[in-house]
Amino acid sequence: MAINVRRAGSAHRGLSEWLLQRLSALYLGGFVLFAAGRLLWAPIVTYEAWRDWVLSLPMRLALALFFFGLLLHSWVGIRSVFMDYLKPMWLRFAAQGVTGLGLLTLGIWAMVILFGGRP
Amino acid sequence: MVHPTPRPVYLNLFQIRLPVGGVVSILHRVSGTLLVLALPFALWMFARSLESAQRFAAVQELVRAVPARWVLCIVLLGLGHHLLAGIRHLLLDLHVGMSRGGARLGGWLVLMLDGVVAVALGVSWL
Repeated sequence: MAINVRRAGSAHRGLSEWLLQRLSALYLGGFVLFAAGRLLWAPIVTYEAWRDWVLSLPMRLALALFFFGLLLHSWVGIRSVFMDYLKPMWLRFAAQGVTGLGLLTLGIWAMVILFGGRP
Repeated sequence: MVHPTPRPVYLNLFQIRLPVGGVVSILHRVSGTLLVLALPFALWMFARSLESAQRFAAVQELVRAVPARWVLCIVLLGLGHHLLAGIRHLLLDLHVGMSRGGARLGGWLVLMLDGVVAVALGVSWL
């Protein structure tokens, strides 16, 4: 009898997370180096300059992508830490649930900051 | 089948001397976890800094005051290590520095650059 191995679920588990972690790492690393370089090159000390820089449209979009990538990266990273160290299933699921909700909340908050239009 | 040793085997991590790559790798984890824990505070300061000139000044003052200054220093050191060790891991994925000697060299390089970051932070910020 033929057995569908893939349907059992384990064959591809983790591959997309593995790829996601590396792709997000490239963007996050590139953006951190860019932002740090920009701020070290010409330090921003006034509120007006800070706001104008951060809230310019290209920066808003780049930051939105950054936060999105950061949340994915954090999720995959924390998830693998939990999978390695939290052995009881209920504890792992609880911790992952809390982390997931927390990260989602942070993501929504970041979008409100960037596109909420209040300042 | 009977195994010669009882299984599962539990390793005593405190009896294992980690190679330098292992040290870099575990610090990658520790720093990553630290960075996630710092995220809510960072986002809070980011939000405040954009709200008004007064709040921007308040955030500036906050990060210059002593407890926050130290915490920020540790978080930035963690960021530096996470970035450096991450670059090493990406290079390993590309099979750069995969030999035993290369991996050791890369590990020591990351630790040395961590030291450079620490000194730079200490001189400019502490």
